[in-house]
Amino acid sequence: VRRRQARFISVTAAKFTAEQRSEGQSSENSAKEDAQEAQYEHDIRQRILSASLVYVQELGWTQKALEAGAKDEGLPPIAHGMFPRGGAELVHYFYSKSNEELAEILSADVKEAEAKGEKLKTQTFIQNAIETRLRMIFPYMDIWPQAMAIQALPQNAVDSWTNTLNLMDEIWYYAGDRSTDFNWYTKRMTLFAIYKSTEVYMLQDKSADKEDTWAFLNRRLKDLENIAAAKKSCEQNSDVFKEAVKGFAVMGRNVLGFNSRDR
Amino acid sequence: MLAASGTIGRRWISTSVNSVKKAKTRKLLDKIIRVDHAGEFGADRIYAGQLAVLKKSSVGPMIQEMWDEEKHHRETFEKLIVEKRVRPTVLLPLWNIAGFALGAGTALLGKEAAMACTVAVEDVIGDHYNNQIRELMEDDPEQHKELLEIVKKFRDDEMHHHDIGLEYDAEKAPFYNALTQVIKIGCKGAVWISERI
Repeated sequence: VRRRQARFISVTAAKFTAEQRSEGQSSENSAKEDAQEAQYEHDIRQRILSASLVYVQELGWTQKALEAGAKDEGLPPIAHGMFPRGGAELVHYFYSKSNEELAEILSADVKEAEAKGEKLKTQTFIQNAIETRLRMIFPYMDIWPQAMAIQALPQNAVDSWTNTLNLMDEIWYYAGDRSTDFNWYTKRMTLFAIYKSTEVYMLQDKSADKEDTWAFLNRRLKDLENIAAAKKSCEQNSDVFKEAVKGFAVMGRNVLGFNSRDR
Repeated sequence: MLAASGTIGRRWISTSVNSVKKAKTRKLLDKIIRVDHAGEFGADRIYAGQLAVLKKSSVGPMIQEMWDEEKHHRETFEKLIVEKRVRPTVLLPLWNIAGFALGAGTALLGKEAAMACTVAVEDVIGDHYNNQIRELMEDDPEQHKELLEIVKKFRDDEMHHHDIGLEYDAEKAPFYNALTQVIKIGCKGAVWISERI
């Protein structure tokens, strides 16, 4: 039913541009028409989503908020049918738009630092980036647990995973990471753990301006630094480690009798 | 930098025209560069495996030459990964091991088998690059001009390797048909999955 509604809406919307359509479409034009129609539908969706965000506080990340947003845009409330997954699409929209905004802020910061000739310290940069991004959630703080729950649903898993991975990628890219091997993943996964834990902590933080959350974030990033330092010192000690492993292997073979000529 | 976050319901004005088309192109580029990087990385490891076994044989220098070209290919795609903000495939460690194992394994069967492996892999890669050229041309030949040049040149290089393989008696390898078929199927599977994850 929702898909039919979506189709109905898009066809109705297309009819609003009937006067812009030429009659007797040739096959070359029809591909272009399809593309234009798809873009038109996309633009309407973006407008509705943008208008619906004001209603999220009172109506939640739901279809009702989309109806209210559609009404604001002068479209019939049934236009919520353009969003078969309802509130999840609103959450996805908010998340991806926030990510884009963060990318712009970080890009400007990096350019500014380059212009001044300063070198940004990675840990500070990442901490500021995460803090900026979490602050974008502040206006929706009361209703954010609902958004997190929606993101956790299996049908929204792909979207929310893509959003979060993009966010991690943006932060690391502007922090200077240019890796092209598996480190790409390890870095983003560790940051994901930090970001998620900070986000959850933030939900129950009652301090002024969430300063406890930023202290928590700082501690997590310090942990990361400690792990990296420990790993480095492990690598330096690896010769000792290798010798130890060899020693145990020889001992094992002795115990099992493989080194004896009488076997 | 800690910009005060907006009030509730700030409107984001969509400034991008043709954002649907842009998103489609982005997905295409992402897929193409990811799988090409995985392919060149795998090829790099295959030649490394072959050279590890056949370094002192008569085909050693030839393999070294082909390996150097593959290294150049891989570096080009690594630059593209950074430039176009593409995610590398998560299976890189797997291709690392599998590629080396394939190269060393076929080399242990003899130098003709190593050449047969080269022929099979380069054959799949050649077709694959041709498909990508078609996809890029369909999408937007103007925008992808640089990438098209790169893919065309690399396709020609891979075809050259394919011909070298045949020249160096690949067809005399034991079980040539079966060997090349198995390797081709493996490569196609690797290409399919690297495009996705």
